[in-house]
Amino acid sequence: MWRAWRWLRRAVGSPLRLWRVSLLTRTVVVAGALSGLAVTVIGGYMSLTIQDSLYESRRDQVVVESARTAAQVQSLFDNAVTAAGTIDVETANASAQTAIRTTQSSPGQGGFAILRVPGQITDQTMTSTSTAGLDVSVVSPSIRQALIQEPEDVHLQSVSLTTTEGIVPGIVTGSIIQVPTAGQYELYLIYDLSDVQATLTLVQQTLVVGSIILVVLIAAVTWLVVRVAIGPVRTAARTAERLAEGYLEERIEERGEDVIATLSRSFNKMADSMQSQIVRLAKLSQLQQRFVSDVSHELRTPLTTIRLAADVLHGQREQWEPESRRSIELLVAQIERFESMLTDLLEISRYDAGAVSLERDEVNLVELVEDSLDQLSPLADQKGSSLLLEVLGGYGIVDADAGRIRRVLLNFIGNAIDHGDGKPIVAIVDSDETTVAVAVRDWGVGMSEQETARVFDRFWRADPSRQRTTGGTGLGLAIAQEDARAHGGFIDVWSAPGQGSCFRLTLPRHAGHSVTHSPLGLPAETTLVDSDGVELGLDEPAEVS
Amino acid sequence: MTARILVVDDDVALSEMISIMLRGEGFDIHLAADGPDAITSLQSHNPDLILLDVMLPGMDGMDVCQKIREVSGIPIIMLTAKSDSADVVRGLEAGADDYVVKPFNPKELVARIRTRLRPTQETGLTEISIADVLIDVPSHEVRRGGERVNLTPLEFQLLLTLALRPQQVFTREELLEQVWGYRYKADTRLVNVHVQRLRSKIESDPDNPVIIETVRGVGYRSGKAESAEGQNQAG
Repeated sequence: MWRAWRWLRRAVGSPLRLWRVSLLTRTVVVAGALSGLAVTVIGGYMSLTIQDSLYESRRDQVVVESARTAAQVQSLFDNAVTAAGTIDVETANASAQTAIRTTQSSPGQGGFAILRVPGQITDQTMTSTSTAGLDVSVVSPSIRQALIQEPEDVHLQSVSLTTTEGIVPGIVTGSIIQVPTAGQYELYLIYDLSDVQATLTLVQQTLVVGSIILVVLIAAVTWLVVRVAIGPVRTAARTAERLAEGYLEERIEERGEDVIATLSRSFNKMADSMQSQIVRLAKLSQLQQRFVSDVSHELRTPLTTIRLAADVLHGQREQWEPESRRSIELLVAQIERFESMLTDLLEISRYDAGAVSLERDEVNLVELVEDSLDQLSPLADQKGSSLLLEVLGGYGIVDADAGRIRRVLLNFIGNAIDHGDGKPIVAIVDSDETTVAVAVRDWGVGMSEQETARVFDRFWRADPSRQRTTGGTGLGLAIAQEDARAHGGFIDVWSAPGQGSCFRLTLPRHAGHSVTHSPLGLPAETTLVDSDGVELGLDEPAEVS
Repeated sequence: MTARILVVDDDVALSEMISIMLRGEGFDIHLAADGPDAITSLQSHNPDLILLDVMLPGMDGMDVCQKIREVSGIPIIMLTAKSDSADVVRGLEAGADDYVVKPFNPKELVARIRTRLRPTQETGLTEISIADVLIDVPSHEVRRGGERVNLTPLEFQLLLTLALRPQQVFTREELLEQVWGYRYKADTRLVNVHVQRLRSKIESDPDNPVIIETVRGVGYRSGKAESAEGQNQAG
């Protein structure tokens, strides 16, 4: 049943699709339909006209013929009267019949009937006769009536004749004959029009066949013309698609001087300039990326030396004067900051150059979050924040780059500690069939809407006057966002001044997918509440050790 | 006994600084400026560990690493300015045991060095046998089908760690901690590359390993130990 329905849909659907998709089909169908309509109208008109004129000329012929026959028969009867004034009506009748047969010269099956006008009283009567095998009922009462009323005229009626070849059209003519001593008789002559019909059928057949051939020809010509006309357009479309796919070498063949050739030339010119632009930009970005990468690498060796030196000095700081000691401490701290900036700069330049490839592995998000919390717990202790982990799901395996995800998590947690105001920080993990998510929530200072909107901008800092302990570079969240995007996931944020912030990372479980929803809600969506009483919404959780 | 470390780096200032720092930690340092120099020093000074810069003039660090591996299983720690995956993996495949990215934390470097110089843990076991591979623990020897297989100390350590707990699954992180001494920020490629190297040496068909099996999504485990002669099996 279902299969039949599907089949039907396909059968109906594919022509519909073809109609929608193919300009060629559409044009050919429209041209065919319109020319078909025109040919039908013209053909119909011609056919009718021919039919009329054929019929009319035949009718005129019949009228003349039957008048002549009637006159001949009349005179035959008149001449049959002997000098004595008597007449052998039957003999006259017989000779009249012979005469009628000879006059009915026109082709086709004819016939005649001589019928006595009813309601007469005469000296003698003549036998009513008719052609053998003729169905006298073709002479309808209406023509008889009309004949009796107007005996002077020749009366005509179109009838259908039943012959051995079936029903054919015919004409019955009627006139009155005065048979001496026997009174009035009606002479009906029946003319078979099957020859006219045959001619007409032939003409109509010719017209129909001609029309069909004409329509097919028009459709074929249209098809050919449209093909020739849209061929180059098709080529252009195909080439444009190839270009869009990145095959910058693709061009259209230029031939001739016509408008199509102009199209090809302009198209190729466009492709040329696009290609050169793209190549130029690609080279430029490659150069820039290499430059950034080279600079960062070249800086690394002297930076290592500086760092080692600073570290040696730092190890001996007790021997120095307080001022020098402080200087050494500052030196060490700033070298560290310099270092992380260099790393971040290199990373972001890699993303900018599109030169990032993920080292995907089977990763357990919960373990990663646990590790990251562990790693930052000394810092959290220092700031007085407790780190909590709530796992609602997400135990399954995720195809992800562990290093990058860890970096994102460390960034979230580090930020939360930095701005957490010493209040608890909760990381919550959940998942559904296709996605996993982790949200890190703090109840610290929070951010205004404008600040939240800029939080992923490079080198942007929430509040310049605020002290930072994790030595952020201002690139952390920008990189985190790139990391999430590279995985096909996203990062979003909720924050309110005085109520804290919540950063959420959502990832697809499997490589090659991208996420559109998250299994975890942000606080504003108020679904971020777990079962064990740790409220992740707007309220701060009760102090948990 | 003072451990001797050969530092191979073309940057004079960095080499000097590294030697100051490491001498402070009680190591004996010898410097080499390039690849050929390093290979000569390897023979003349008989170091216990090599710190090798990847970017060297003339002979590339990778080539030096390969040359050294042809003659010695000495622990090699790479110094690299590039943490890009391809570079690191190439270095590890060339035979480096571990790597440190410049600019490194001196403490981190020292920790890496000490882990590599640390003697193999006491096991109380003398022999472990998995499939056709026999591990002779005290003599640090591994035989496959009676034939001796040359493993670097790190490879031996990796194999032993897995073999001591037959059938137990180790995550890459656990292996990083136990074999490389990492706690955080571990690069699991270290494990992957070295397991591959180890397999290529001890497995008869490295594509269908039976001695070190991959447990999808978790890590690695050793195949069933068939017999443990001498002492009882470790719990």
